[in-house]
Amino acid sequence: MAISQAMCTSFKQELLTGTHNFTTSTGDAFKLALYTSSATLGASTAAYTTTNEVTGTGYTAGGGSLTNVTPTTSGTTALTDFADLTFSTATITARGALIYNDDQSDKSVIVLDFGSDKTSTAGDFTIVFPAAASGTAIIRIA
Amino acid sequence: MKLDFEFPTNGTIKDLGIQVHTTNNRGFTPEEHAIRCAEKIVSVSSEAHPAIRAQAHAFKSQVIRAVEQTLCEAVKSDRTTIYNALNEAGHPELADLIRRL
Repeated sequence: MAISQAMCTSFKQELLTGTHNFTTSTGDAFKLALYTSSATLGASTAAYTTTNEVTGTGYTAGGGSLTNVTPTTSGTTALTDFADLTFSTATITARGALIYNDDQSDKSVIVLDFGSDKTSTAGDFTIVFPAAASGTAIIRIA
Repeated sequence: MKLDFEFPTNGTIKDLGIQVHTTNNRGFTPEEHAIRCAEKIVSVSSEAHPAIRAQAHAFKSQVIRAVEQTLCEAVKSDRTTIYNALNEAGHPELADLIRRL
């Protein structure tokens, strides 16, 4: 059982078949679900699962809704991003996360490994995404 | 043609520039939000000319101060709104508690 950070293999294929739309507002709805260290997630994860998903105050199964940033280009790199996501007044512990497409049968996008358990107690649990630049954006094709 | 997905497959979120920020028994302060905001607006290469780096850091400090001040005002305004909502709903003691925060 482990969480291995990866861009999901199925997602790469689905990009080529036009499954995902990251456009702000008019695109698909993406969500971020949190998982405990008991979860098994990685490149082969094809869809959201409730197995070993975090439970606790301030967290609902399925996770939180992400705000897409419309894909853009910088030089020869195409990129997209999400706004930071906060689970408020939360008492939870998570080791990783899965970003998935809530509008496309919960198909997976990215697995994140936090490196260690992260805990909030009656506080805020925030996932801070990097700046939307060609060298830093969370999803970019160079 | 090869498309390179710039995504470390065996790293941690540190390699992606993603961070997880948590708090215990409180929310984030305006200063903490301001610092996070400035990190998104201003980034400085460690290889930049020292003079440019210094200027960028000075600008980032200005951004932090401006954002923090604005956030503090926003929090105060929101508390005023909550105070009035609680007062109108017949909870003056609770409203006063919010006002004193």
